[in-house]
Amino acid sequence: MKKDEHFSEEQLNALVDGELDPEERSVLYNHSEHQPDLDMRICKQRKIKELVKHAYEDVPQVERPRARPLSRRGLFSTGLAAGILLAVGLVIGVVGHSLVERESLNGAAAVATRAVAERENYLLHVVSGDPEQMYAALEQARFLLDATGEGEVGHVEIIANERGIDLLRSDVTPFAREIADLQRQDVIFYACSRTIERLNEEGIEVVLVPDARQEYTAIDRVVSRMQQGWKYEKI
Amino acid sequence: MAASMIFGINQRRAFRKLICNCRERLYRMAYAWTHDPYLADDLVQQSIYKALSNQKQLKELGAAEAWLFRILSNCMKDHYRAKRDVVSPDNLVISESGTPERMTEQQQLVEKVQNAVRQLPLAQCQVVTLVDLEGFAYATVANILDIPVGTVMSRLCRGRRALKEHLIDVRPGVQAGRTATLTRVK
Repeated sequence: MKKDEHFSEEQLNALVDGELDPEERSVLYNHSEHQPDLDMRICKQRKIKELVKHAYEDVPQVERPRARPLSRRGLFSTGLAAGILLAVGLVIGVVGHSLVERESLNGAAAVATRAVAERENYLLHVVSGDPEQMYAALEQARFLLDATGEGEVGHVEIIANERGIDLLRSDVTPFAREIADLQRQDVIFYACSRTIERLNEEGIEVVLVPDARQEYTAIDRVVSRMQQGWKYEKI
Repeated sequence: MAASMIFGINQRRAFRKLICNCRERLYRMAYAWTHDPYLADDLVQQSIYKALSNQKQLKELGAAEAWLFRILSNCMKDHYRAKRDVVSPDNLVISESGTPERMTEQQQLVEKVQNAVRQLPLAQCQVVTLVDLEGFAYATVANILDIPVGTVMSRLCRGRRALKEHLIDVRPGVQAGRTATLTRVK
């Protein structure tokens, strides 16, 4: 019979982790019945595994403030998921400006048509501080609004975080007029409060453009909208 | 065509749902690796962004969970590389936190185990937690961390050995309260 010390720690780990096949398991268990030391070693391996699992069952969560209440007109309540159908182009950002413009047109039009057919809503997520990217996002939203046509129920949201927060900073954004124009067409803009907090910690005061709302984290909005079946595109 | 599987409407929905469902698990893992709730939350956010942005790279939905944890691991390595470009993230040991003076036995046990895990080199900590918290197979852990299965086994071995040294004195009695209040079994 194999002695206890002939079973390596790797083998015992494999046993407690379910990595051994039934035959190998049987061999080890048979030995452990007659070798208390081996039995004890197996128990210790299992105990360590259980302790680790137990120690992380309830981990501390980051406290997240709830999203701030709406600051202005509400065409729809936030819970109303049905809405306008907007879309995002497929190829923004990495190509030159003219190419971006042209492809945004084509891409947005194509996606808009599909969106109308599928009745899908879209969330655009701006993370880049590059004005060209910001403009591309705004343009796509506009193209899509045009594509849905008057009388269509539609909904689009644009959320900005990281460097993309500059899009919604009233003292920084080069697109205040475009944003206001889109807001008049019921596009809703959200800023990530977490990003704002970070900027505040760096001594930067953030003043948002009028009617921009806040969500504690962009990912909260993304996940919540996705759960409601919205389309998501990061720009 | 396998590559297009994930891009069907149903698959995309399933993928989004999976990401939502995995979020807590990703957070728990990130917390076990960093022991910093805010950093863990940031890493999970980054991971989800990356997963959503790069979902076209995912060939099959069945591999999505491991893929998400792989992204999380890469995000964390990137984070520590950016913070400390001299020390390899694999050898990094997350600093030990202070021990609160008044804690229940349950809290003391959790704190003791977490302190022991915190003292492991990150490479060992990752293997131990991926196996113990998520129950991933060694081959899956190897895939997530992009290391050979043999390395997974040796890191696991060293990690558990170190944990045993720290935790071997944990008395069974400390856990008695939990046993007495057992409310569910698998």
